[in-house]
Amino acid sequence: MDRRDWLKSVTVGGVAVLAARWDLAAAKAAEVDDRFARLADAALDRAGQLGAKFADFRIMQTETESLFVREQMVQAVSAATSLGCSVRVVVDGAWGFAASEDLSGEGVARLAAEAVAIARAQAGWRKRRVEIESLPRHVGRFDQPAGVDPFAVPLERKVETLLGITAAAGAAGANFCHASLQQVRERTWLANTFGSRIIQSRVRLQPGFAVTVTDEKTGRFAEREGSVPPRGGGWEHVTSLALTADAARAVEEAREKLAAPSVEPGRKDLVIAPSNLWLTIHETVGHPTELDRALGDEANFAGTSFCTPDKLDRLRYASDIVSFRGERTEPGGVATTAFDDDGAPTAGREFFIVEKGVFRSYQMALGQAGRIGRQESNACGYAESFDAFPLQRMPNISLVPGRDPAVTAESLIAGVDDGIFIEGNGSWSIDQQRYNFQFTGQVFHRIKNGRLAGMLRDVAYQGNSVDFWNACDGLGGPLSRELYGALHCGKGQPQQAAPVSHGAVPARFRRINVLNTAEQAGAKTAACEGCQGLVRRWA
Amino acid sequence: MGMTANAARTICERVLRLVHADSAEVRLAVGDDLHVRHASNDITSNALIHRTDLSLTVSYGRRSATLSTNQLGGGQLDDASIRRLVDRAQAMAKLAPENPEHMPPLGPTEFATPVTWAEATAAASPEAVIPSIRPVIERARDAGVDTAGYLKRTVGGSTLANTSGLFVHQRSTTVGFSVTARTPTGRGSGWASTQVTDIRDLDLGPVGDRAVRKALDSRNPGERPPARTTVVLEPAAVRDLVSWLVHSLDRRPFDEGRSFLNGLAKADEDPVGRKLFGGRATIFSDPLDASAPCPTHADGLPLVRTPWINAGVLKTLAVGRFWAGKQGVAPQPGPGNLIMQGEGRSLDELVGMVEDGVLVTRIWYLRSVDPQTLLLTGLTRDGTFAISKGRLAGPVKNFRFNVSPVQMLERLVASGVPTRVLGAESDSPVCMPPIVVEDFNLSSVSDAS
Repeated sequence: MDRRDWLKSVTVGGVAVLAARWDLAAAKAAEVDDRFARLADAALDRAGQLGAKFADFRIMQTETESLFVREQMVQAVSAATSLGCSVRVVVDGAWGFAASEDLSGEGVARLAAEAVAIARAQAGWRKRRVEIESLPRHVGRFDQPAGVDPFAVPLERKVETLLGITAAAGAAGANFCHASLQQVRERTWLANTFGSRIIQSRVRLQPGFAVTVTDEKTGRFAEREGSVPPRGGGWEHVTSLALTADAARAVEEAREKLAAPSVEPGRKDLVIAPSNLWLTIHETVGHPTELDRALGDEANFAGTSFCTPDKLDRLRYASDIVSFRGERTEPGGVATTAFDDDGAPTAGREFFIVEKGVFRSYQMALGQAGRIGRQESNACGYAESFDAFPLQRMPNISLVPGRDPAVTAESLIAGVDDGIFIEGNGSWSIDQQRYNFQFTGQVFHRIKNGRLAGMLRDVAYQGNSVDFWNACDGLGGPLSRELYGALHCGKGQPQQAAPVSHGAVPARFRRINVLNTAEQAGAKTAACEGCQGLVRRWA
Repeated sequence: MGMTANAARTICERVLRLVHADSAEVRLAVGDDLHVRHASNDITSNALIHRTDLSLTVSYGRRSATLSTNQLGGGQLDDASIRRLVDRAQAMAKLAPENPEHMPPLGPTEFATPVTWAEATAAASPEAVIPSIRPVIERARDAGVDTAGYLKRTVGGSTLANTSGLFVHQRSTTVGFSVTARTPTGRGSGWASTQVTDIRDLDLGPVGDRAVRKALDSRNPGERPPARTTVVLEPAAVRDLVSWLVHSLDRRPFDEGRSFLNGLAKADEDPVGRKLFGGRATIFSDPLDASAPCPTHADGLPLVRTPWINAGVLKTLAVGRFWAGKQGVAPQPGPGNLIMQGEGRSLDELVGMVEDGVLVTRIWYLRSVDPQTLLLTGLTRDGTFAISKGRLAGPVKNFRFNVSPVQMLERLVASGVPTRVLGAESDSPVCMPPIVVEDFNLSSVSDAS
């Protein structure tokens, strides 16, 4: 049966069955709604009886659906749900946390006891006490707007969308193409000893694709990943994208990349598109300004930060045209929510991380602000699942557009004599204190005398975070802003994934170190006789 | 602690009995995990997590779908929950398009009994485990050094059963610990790790001492210019680079012309059996090797001792079941653990072999730069030292490197004693020796400490 036959065969039944699956999760959620208050009381009362100074109780239901197609084959259709709860306590100045899928009254009381017991297991040899600030009491519900619930969209429509992408790539000459769709719904029920009872739901999704073009003569191959942002919201995000046209263009670009000349390394001016710059923002601004990192809490894994508390209001992080804003309120942002997983409201807690080039604020979760003399968190607590301890995670962090609405990528390029215009994010790596980074991209265009002059390959740009942002001398205006991001930013031990959006405009940077990655590999790049690929003559 | 084979079999049979599809496969994972984090010489969070996950894949011909859940009736697997799961999975599978590469479930197979379980680890209470970190913290306080660390105790069972009669249930316990020590002044940093199956083998004091010693020794680093130079890589650094290489040894991308191996082998040649790497490199996996044991199956295929690279000769490529059938070769799962053979030299002996070079404790943020050459980039971290005339010659600032592990093994000139060590982003069981590599591309200096 080919794809079209299959689509016809499932069209009738698809809506009913998928909707039924969605209804089951919703029904389970409605059941939790009914039991939430009683369970919260059971957990928090038990924690209080056992001596907890603070406790919170969180139930979380996570629904995911994933599709993966390769060429014209649907290789994976999978769905998962998890539901469980956790109790977090502060006892004798120490955190304790326990989690289970058991949602019985006895079960949550037992969890509270376990959380208290392991908090007490360090009694007698701890020095610093955990101190948390007061949280305002909130009782309410927040459902993130999602026009068309992606979990209610028929499976066949999703598959048709993905197979449409791979078909377009195949028609354009791709040797290989895969496409995917991920969607997530989180429902949380949070109660704490400040009296809050908060129920929330959020939906997010992200389609994606990648094409590969091979050259039989040389054995070389080139890949081009789609630059497709995630979005907090519904299926309308997918239908708003020109995915098949993007796939066809990606094939053309991969082919051009395959034949492009290798870059001449050295210091060059760069104009970086939002599709690449969002990840540079994430790595060089987002992670360094996480307060838990700066205080050493993540030293054993993600690392610490060059951006130490003594630099607040002093460090010239960037040139004075550059500001970065953190918030969890932007419509469509994948970190957007009404309350964080500590129970702090997000509205009114938007903040500048960098304002006109100066470092102004960290991202903070519960219990952190007091350590640097500030009053309260800026609502950056997040836990990826019911069994994850809430950590400080990135809010949506965006580069504030330049003031002049007339400035575009083209006008920034016009101001470059010899440089590179970079699109799409590729490889990324940065040290554990966020000084030294090295990034690649998907497509590199040479800029000559203010105009694009063909593609380049083997490009990476490398530098120091602060030097890089201080080298920024041009920003696109508000009309050039695009919202990108990631569904799976990793942090913590055990590692947790968190979603984050980054708004960016095209930006220009002067005299940035450009590497030739083929030279870095020590490889001669001449094609060889009889080889599928290249003879690697190690230098 | 941990689910017994009989209990797991009962659950799987109850699920499979309700399936009307052509075939089905159940995976059951049960875990009781303890996570203890500390920073600034105080415990920052403890977490005790009980979790059971069940995943069901059902197939009608070549149509299949997978549904996973932990919603098993409030911790108890009741019939109504099972029926809902089966009904939903079957409905999804009926809707799924045919996958031409679908493979039917495997039949019954005998698997070696794994050596991954220690009753003492499973029985240890959180209240008994958490104080094992105390000597690390107290000795660091005495030395005036800050430490941050992570202890993870896992007690788990995993089960795979299908409608073709395959049933395998395996249990495992591990305790892993890593610690980073940092000096309050002088930018010193050191790291050490350990991982054991049996908690009675756990002695964290010396692990903390190693990290503290390295932090003190790495204070006030000098700046050494970036260059291609000889390096001594400690096991943690070797682990991350070698693991990336071995997990890239896959037949299908090669056959499709999009593997780094295509740059090393001629068009009409199978790369297996060719000497593509340095002659001192011998790397294998062996689930029963007590130094780093792992389960003895992967998705129902037996895991046995497998040579991947033997004296520089590529011996094995991983290949999935569909591609194996298409190419007329036997399926080969990827490695469940990894062990690199060493030459028995001590770290001091390896340093002694180097006239001028750098000692690297650990690497960080390893990422692909160019898949055609397997060029990777990353940074040194937590203790980087100059070597001069066979002796450590003081700490130096960290480096970014751009290196292909293929190139690294080509230039491997000596190795030491394999040690079980945790990776920067993975804690799968791996034993690696320290190695000496010539002409390692340290491409720029990092100010990180």
